[in-house]
Amino acid sequence: MEIKYTLQGLLIYIGISLYLLGFVTALLRRSKNARTLFALGFIAAVTAVAYRWYHVEHVPMQNLFEVFLVLGMMIYPISIISRRYLGVSAGVGNSADMLLAIIVLFPAGFIFDAQPQRLPPALQCWLFAPHVAVYMLAYVFMAKAAFLASCRIVGAKPLRSTELVSYEHGTYRMVCVGFPLLTCGLLLGSWWGKLAWGDYWGWDPKELWSLASWLVYAGYFHFRYIYGKKHEKLNCFWAVVGMFVILITLLWVNLSRLFPGLHNYAT
Amino acid sequence: MKTTSSTTSSRDNLFLVAKNLMNKFKKIVIHASLWTIICLIFLSIYGAFVGAERARAFFNSLPLGVFWIVFAVLLITGFMAFRRLIRHRSLLLIHLGCVLILAGALYGSETGHKLQKRFFGIQKTHSARMIIYEGQQNDRLYLKREDRFEQLPFSIKLDDFRMTYYRPGTLFVRTEDDERWSVPADVGNAIHLNDELGELTIIAAFENCKIRIDDGNVTAIEDAGPGSNPALAIRIDKPDGTAETKYIFEKFPGFVHSQNNLYMSYSRMVSDYISDLKVIADGKVVAEKSIEVNKPLYYGRYHFYQSSYDDEEGLYTILSVTSDTGLYLVYAGYLMLSIGVFWHFWLRKAFKITKPSGAADGN
Repeated sequence: MEIKYTLQGLLIYIGISLYLLGFVTALLRRSKNARTLFALGFIAAVTAVAYRWYHVEHVPMQNLFEVFLVLGMMIYPISIISRRYLGVSAGVGNSADMLLAIIVLFPAGFIFDAQPQRLPPALQCWLFAPHVAVYMLAYVFMAKAAFLASCRIVGAKPLRSTELVSYEHGTYRMVCVGFPLLTCGLLLGSWWGKLAWGDYWGWDPKELWSLASWLVYAGYFHFRYIYGKKHEKLNCFWAVVGMFVILITLLWVNLSRLFPGLHNYAT
Repeated sequence: MKTTSSTTSSRDNLFLVAKNLMNKFKKIVIHASLWTIICLIFLSIYGAFVGAERARAFFNSLPLGVFWIVFAVLLITGFMAFRRLIRHRSLLLIHLGCVLILAGALYGSETGHKLQKRFFGIQKTHSARMIIYEGQQNDRLYLKREDRFEQLPFSIKLDDFRMTYYRPGTLFVRTEDDERWSVPADVGNAIHLNDELGELTIIAAFENCKIRIDDGNVTAIEDAGPGSNPALAIRIDKPDGTAETKYIFEKFPGFVHSQNNLYMSYSRMVSDYISDLKVIADGKVVAEKSIEVNKPLYYGRYHFYQSSYDDEEGLYTILSVTSDTGLYLVYAGYLMLSIGVFWHFWLRKAFKITKPSGAADGN
């Protein structure tokens, strides 16, 4: 664990603190104050990303520090969209979203090295930003889906609001939004692989884990089509497994020496 | 009257039998699809553990070839079993997209190329490498796995190969006690090492450094001639007031200056690899392009990629060459799959304006 005594670090810590305050306030059922703190945390996260962008002179999505930094910025808008347009809320007053924002900003603040890096030739492609960005958006939706699915599996009390859907249905809606993004990320990556390495599919460990995560959600849709809501907990189990595979794709493949491959520059 | 009613009832019975059979068929197809997906999840995870090279061989093996064909057939059978896959255009695009991707991948695979050669006489190399020296042309492709050469119907000429670097490079310094520093390699930049070692300052940077020794005096000069020998000249101002000048060469990292036990290295990060290529057919230049990473040359239904280079002298480039067979079928599949998933899951499902209670249900 490493504390960053830099302006970059300060911005991240402000973001984490505001998200944490928002989370506690939401648990105390002071929704309006919690929402304000969540929004302020988002502003701090955006500033941290903008500062990083200015500092490294490229879209900050090159390594795990930058990926987690950007993820910390994505939670708030996705939380708003999910509640307003999809009728899905995670926890009391979006408290789970605030917790998720803390969880993703924490590694950026305390674990990963923030040493600026230049882009290697393979990453100098217009597909770099959209490929990583859509994947990150997909991951946030799938994380929300996994949270809702877990609530259903453990039998958590549903939220009392007529505007919100059930946990199982909320999981389905989150996966419905995340799946096209996941597909888009996979296909853009494949297209980019063709441009950079000559193969649209290189059987690289990261590619295969990405395919596995895509297939888990494809399996989820087929399973739900076959059994409908007959086995709600099993439906939700698929979404939790999907998130587990995503975590392996995002973290284990990059951090472990078990999976050497073409994507190793992301560490 | 009695005859008419018995005919109707036997028709109804036949209809019921057919309906039951169809339902059973549907059930088999959808369950088979689910198990195929589950199987592929485990195969992908297995492939991730064995590494890219072995995974490639595994997924291109005969049993897996059969698996891919069964998968494609299952997808096509789905269209027959489930009318909604045809009725809903979005579902049609998704599943048809998957069929095209599988078809394109099989058609463009190494085995696909071999079968095309055997049955249709199509002479095309699946993938290979070629080495071209500066100022020379080559039409020979090297197939590493089979350790043999094949010939292209045209030649590729390399006018120039060059690398570009990010500026400035970086000077790294480390002591025996593992104290570390790094600084951008700009002239004038300094590092305060510690109270015992003093201060280090970069006093000159060279692209092609040559060392000259005149009457025992060592001086470094920038040589305008060919070649490349990037180096830095540094001065160490010691606490006792004395100073010494040292040279750090990029090509010889890890040089230890024994007097003060400093391990220093100078490195520059490559920003691009560029090969200026010309395609020559029947003695004429028919195409030319400066290829870089992410910017291949496309000619004669082959893509030519910047793959490697002569890292000692920079005299040759190594290109990877891949056939485009099946590629556009795969891309068409990608496009259909992309449009299909957004259409189906965003427009028809997630963002469909419905009441929360039971809306946008099912698949």
